[in-house]
Amino acid sequence: MRLSFTRFLKILFASFFIQTSWSFFSMQSMGFLFNLFAGANKDQRDKIVKIHKGFFNTHPYMSSYIIGATLRAYDEGDVFPEEIRNFVAITQTSFASTGDLLFWQTLRPALLLIAAILAVKSGVIGPLVFIITYNVFHLFHRVTGIIDGYQMGRDVIYILKAKRFTTVRHIFEILGAFFTGFLFSLVSLEVNYLLLLPITVLFLLLLIKRFPSVLIILAVLLLFVIMVMV
Amino acid sequence: MNFILLSVIGSAIILDKYAFGEFGISQPIIAGAIIGTLFGDLQTGIFIGAILQLIFLVGLPIGRDIPPDGQAAGVIGTGSYFLLRVANQAGHALCLAFILALASAIIGGALEIFVRRRNKKLYHLFMKEQKRLYLYHLVGFIPAFLRSFCLVLPIFLLANYIRIPAQFPQLNKELLIIIGLSLGFANSIYLFLKKTTVVYMLVGALCGLALLVF
Repeated sequence: MRLSFTRFLKILFASFFIQTSWSFFSMQSMGFLFNLFAGANKDQRDKIVKIHKGFFNTHPYMSSYIIGATLRAYDEGDVFPEEIRNFVAITQTSFASTGDLLFWQTLRPALLLIAAILAVKSGVIGPLVFIITYNVFHLFHRVTGIIDGYQMGRDVIYILKAKRFTTVRHIFEILGAFFTGFLFSLVSLEVNYLLLLPITVLFLLLLIKRFPSVLIILAVLLLFVIMVMV
Repeated sequence: MNFILLSVIGSAIILDKYAFGEFGISQPIIAGAIIGTLFGDLQTGIFIGAILQLIFLVGLPIGRDIPPDGQAAGVIGTGSYFLLRVANQAGHALCLAFILALASAIIGGALEIFVRRRNKKLYHLFMKEQKRLYLYHLVGFIPAFLRSFCLVLPIFLLANYIRIPAQFPQLNKELLIIIGLSLGFANSIYLFLKKTTVVYMLVGALCGLALLVF
């Protein structure tokens, strides 16, 4: 069973809108239905709304895998509401945690750190490196997510063991660590370490103690005002 | 550049945060580059964006958690700096722009929570008229855009007309770099320092030193 190119393009385009109506109540529920509608025919839509109108939330880039697999189930025609609902419930949490760890916690901050170093040292190269590299990985998962999800159907969850998740995450953890150390030495001639080190330790403690991020930004603002006044 | 047009462009950039695409163009370093280009000073735009990026490196939107709005801070920090610089000294402009950026990150986060609560109504409307899924889903663009616009417009209006008194403190580049770097280091150590990666951090530090020496 194969996905036609026009149908694939429709789903891909719709996937960019998955969070447009995000709410605390149903999260990406309408976005998920919007994506399924993009790939479903008119006969399937009523059934899709009936089964999937509840809560849905996953990592936005990883939603493609679930959408591809769900559409495959509807195309095969053997859809039992309870079974497909359970499948979506299980996959959304698994893909959410993998996507959060890979993108929000590793790949994006590592690339932004590299981009910030390049930006301060070489200007426009920094933003260009970030936007190109980040979107190679981002779009890779959007595109292959739909294709692999559709091809693997309900077995799509096993893809989470693939190297595209584990190896990439490990590489970017190493890159993030390397460039943290690199930045520390690189700026040694330009800044006053007697000032930099205690502030770094203070913020690190706030992060480790899991202070709310709003409080941390308030602390930055306060520190900023104090330092400027002094 | 007209502050109203800048507010529209800034709000459109912030849509990338979650309403459309999430390509990363709303990240402060990219937004800084875009706004810097619009004002014909790419280098300064990138510099301000990069410092704000280090401050907002850890902004993990995991599950229901909504962190402070680093994206709004990037747009407001760079945009208001360029608007303020027209009639004020660079040191004054930089100082006020950063205060506005950090304050707007907190307000922006609160506004985002408000909008995401209000979006519940769209879902209820959809439940009443299930055939209008496309309409009620895409209407979500309006509150997402208005949230940013309502935040950005008054700040840019203020930045466009305010004349900063001479007594107001000035901010030099070194101080700004220290604040940005300290939070940047704290963020990246928090994220990347593990038993398995500590060696790479040391190697990175040695490479940085080697680059300085040679």
